[in-house]
Amino acid sequence: MQPSRILQALQYRRLRLTTKDVNKGFYKGTRTGSMGRHTKYGGYVIEWHKVRTYVCPSLDGFKLTPFVTRKMEPTRGIYEGYKDGPKDPKLYLARWKAENGLD
Amino acid sequence: MAASAMRPSLSMGALGRIRMMPSAPTPPINPSLTQRATLSTSAARLKRHKYAGARDNRDHSKSRGESAMRGSGTRWRLSMSDEPLPRPVPREKLPPIATDPDHGLWDFFYDRERIVNTPEEDSKHGRAWSVEELRHKSWDDLHRLWWVCVKERNRIATANFERENQKLGFGEAEAKERDKEVLKTMRAIKHVLTERFYLWEDAVELAKKDPEVNLTGEGPAFTPKDYLEEADAAETPDTNAAASPDPAAIPSSTTQAEAPRL
Repeated sequence: MQPSRILQALQYRRLRLTTKDVNKGFYKGTRTGSMGRHTKYGGYVIEWHKVRTYVCPSLDGFKLTPFVTRKMEPTRGIYEGYKDGPKDPKLYLARWKAENGLD
Repeated sequence: MAASAMRPSLSMGALGRIRMMPSAPTPPINPSLTQRATLSTSAARLKRHKYAGARDNRDHSKSRGESAMRGSGTRWRLSMSDEPLPRPVPREKLPPIATDPDHGLWDFFYDRERIVNTPEEDSKHGRAWSVEELRHKSWDDLHRLWWVCVKERNRIATANFERENQKLGFGEAEAKERDKEVLKTMRAIKHVLTERFYLWEDAVELAKKDPEVNLTGEGPAFTPKDYLEEADAAETPDTNAAASPDPAAIPSSTTQAEAPRL
């Protein structure tokens, strides 16, 4: 959407976009996705295959915390010989060959 | 009126009959009124109409005769008793509420005794995980670390709520700093997983050109051809870096176990 020039001069784009700023058909959601569908009578049907279910894995014996001790500097990786560093697919393939090589 | 005046009734006393008997030439203007005024012992019965559809003469006022000023009370008997009302037991005398000491909801608090940590305790936390440190963690480790972060954020949010709710005072800034570090860790986890996925995609493309790799699903996926010959010459730096990627720099989960849980 392109605001008119006067609105551009007013720094209109710095305001958040609402449904009143655009033509019809604009859906401003909450980035959360739907959990069902609307019926033609105005109701709403929950579709359970759409409803999110979060499964926490078992944390028994898991020792990591969200924090790392400050006595330790943030580590830097050593990726000598790889052009893209950690993002080099050659590194991935070489590691796969060395460690797994099965599936 | 005339009908009620003419009908023979027990309520018509002797005086009424005496008056009607002389059949005086002066007709009574309202004989029923005069009779009732002198003789009626049941005036309401006299007023009752007999014909079909006649209005009833019932008293529609339910609170007739009740007076707050005169203290007349109610007309009907109320369902009340003189027994003393029960009093609630004071909280100190109640038996303690049995709770599950291992309930999962306890994870929303840092401590069983206190609801909020002091700001000093809140600010005692380490730094966030860096992306490089998390690159060497497995999927399961990252998955569980994510949920540890979620639980930590829940604890912070609970403390924030209680601090606001009970007007406990300072500590919001420290909690915010702590939350920020957790969020940095979570962002690093997402970074690593996204990067790993793209890396896998690129590596699959690369493996299609690799003669050593068989992606058809039949037979062994990896057949090292000239491993022994070239291992000494060319492959050495690559395989070394791949097989053990900077072991000194990687914090394994065992070494991290000694880190204080803050």
